[in-house]
Amino acid sequence: MNLENDLRRALHRESPAPGFAGRVIQRIERDERPARPVWWRAAAASVTLAAILGGYAVHEAAERRRGERAREEVLRAMSIASEKVRIARQEVRQIGSH
Amino acid sequence: MTAIMPTAVDLPAALTRAQSGDHDAFAEVIEQHEAMVYSLAYHFFNDRGRAEEIAQDVFLQLYRNLGTIESDAHLLFWLRQVTTRRCIDVTRRSRMKAVSLDDAGELRAAEKKHDALLDRRLKTFIEQLPDIQRAVVTLRYQEDLDPSDICRIVQLPVNTVKSHLHRALQSLRRKLGEHP
Amino acid sequence: MRKFLIALVLVLLALPVAAQQINLDFPDLEDRADEVVDVTLDASMLRLGARFLRGHDPDERAVRDMIQGLTGIYVRSYEFSKENEYDRKLADRIKSQLGPTWKAFVTVRSKTKENVNIYADMRGDKVVGLVIISAEPREFTVVNIVGPIDIERLASLEGEFGIPRFTTRGKDHD
Repeated sequence: MNLENDLRRALHRESPAPGFAGRVIQRIERDERPARPVWWRAAAASVTLAAILGGYAVHEAAERRRGERAREEVLRAMSIASEKVRIARQEVRQIGSH
Repeated sequence: MTAIMPTAVDLPAALTRAQSGDHDAFAEVIEQHEAMVYSLAYHFFNDRGRAEEIAQDVFLQLYRNLGTIESDAHLLFWLRQVTTRRCIDVTRRSRMKAVSLDDAGELRAAEKKHDALLDRRLKTFIEQLPDIQRAVVTLRYQEDLDPSDICRIVQLPVNTVKSHLHRALQSLRRKLGEHP
Repeated sequence: MRKFLIALVLVLLALPVAAQQINLDFPDLEDRADEVVDVTLDASMLRLGARFLRGHDPDERAVRDMIQGLTGIYVRSYEFSKENEYDRKLADRIKSQLGPTWKAFVTVRSKTKENVNIYADMRGDKVVGLVIISAEPREFTVVNIVGPIDIERLASLEGEFGIPRFTTRGKDHD
């Protein structure tokens, strides 16, 4: 028995159930802003301020990206800080138990 | 009549379009990598439902961070690392680990019955490994990565990775020997 | 005039002294490190990040609660390919920046494992700032948290939230 070959075979890549990409996109669309009612869209489309609204949407998207990056940075920082404090606490406990 | 062959997804273009908010392009990116991400999670937990959940979360996270991806190689590295770390996080947070013998998966027609049973046992034993060993074994044998590549994904020194791999293989050999 | 000056001194004494932000500028380390983490979050970035933390996730909710009131989080972490690539006296250089209100909270020394020093900026029995210095043979990490923080709650955070630690550098392979 060659374990490494058996492992390669057992761990071959498998696909998720069909439609996986669609399910992810659905979740993305659900998380994004809800669609405005039809009458509002019709009203907005007829107004010459459509260009300004488009600019606002671009600004919103950029703000969202900045916010998500800030969120990641917060989580990264707190994760590292937490890990180091935990290590220190563990070491102190081990010393105390001797 | 000429057969029309599907062209390989032009990933850089799809990635660029996805970064501009094109959902169809992002779907192409997902399709290119879903098997890799899903399989990492599936082989970690031996649980298809959990693997699907984690894989979805990883791609959602990718969508939110598309602007930080610099190249195809970076994308692959990012996906492997985030998936692996998410699997390890989930393991550490959950206190109950279920060892499932029921998630057999489909048998491929070409596989001998002996191989399919062995595969199933291997997957169960892999699931019983400590989380880092599980991650290292999966990255090594599913993704065919060297310890020098694996160490960057799991952020451990390369000798530590080699040691984990060695101990994992020893453990698997022992279990296979105990349960012929 | 004299009464005005006395009043001014009394007002200034009554003002809470701002928690200290440390200088974490190590350009020579960045050049030599294989991997670098550089997180710089001032008050406005913390507020922005807090808005995007997921309220339905208990861990992210805990983080959001913990960072309320903070005015800064700064992290520098350097990983090297070989041992002893950085000056171990760096920790002393950082410590020398700490003012008289700082106390050594935890000092862990180990020849083989990680040395961790935690310093807390104290106002009475309240922690208004934290500096964590971790020195391993191939990794040096400093964290400076500016503002009131609960150290026990910080230690109780589990996991890495699925966030890759190193993003700013490193070879990417297939």
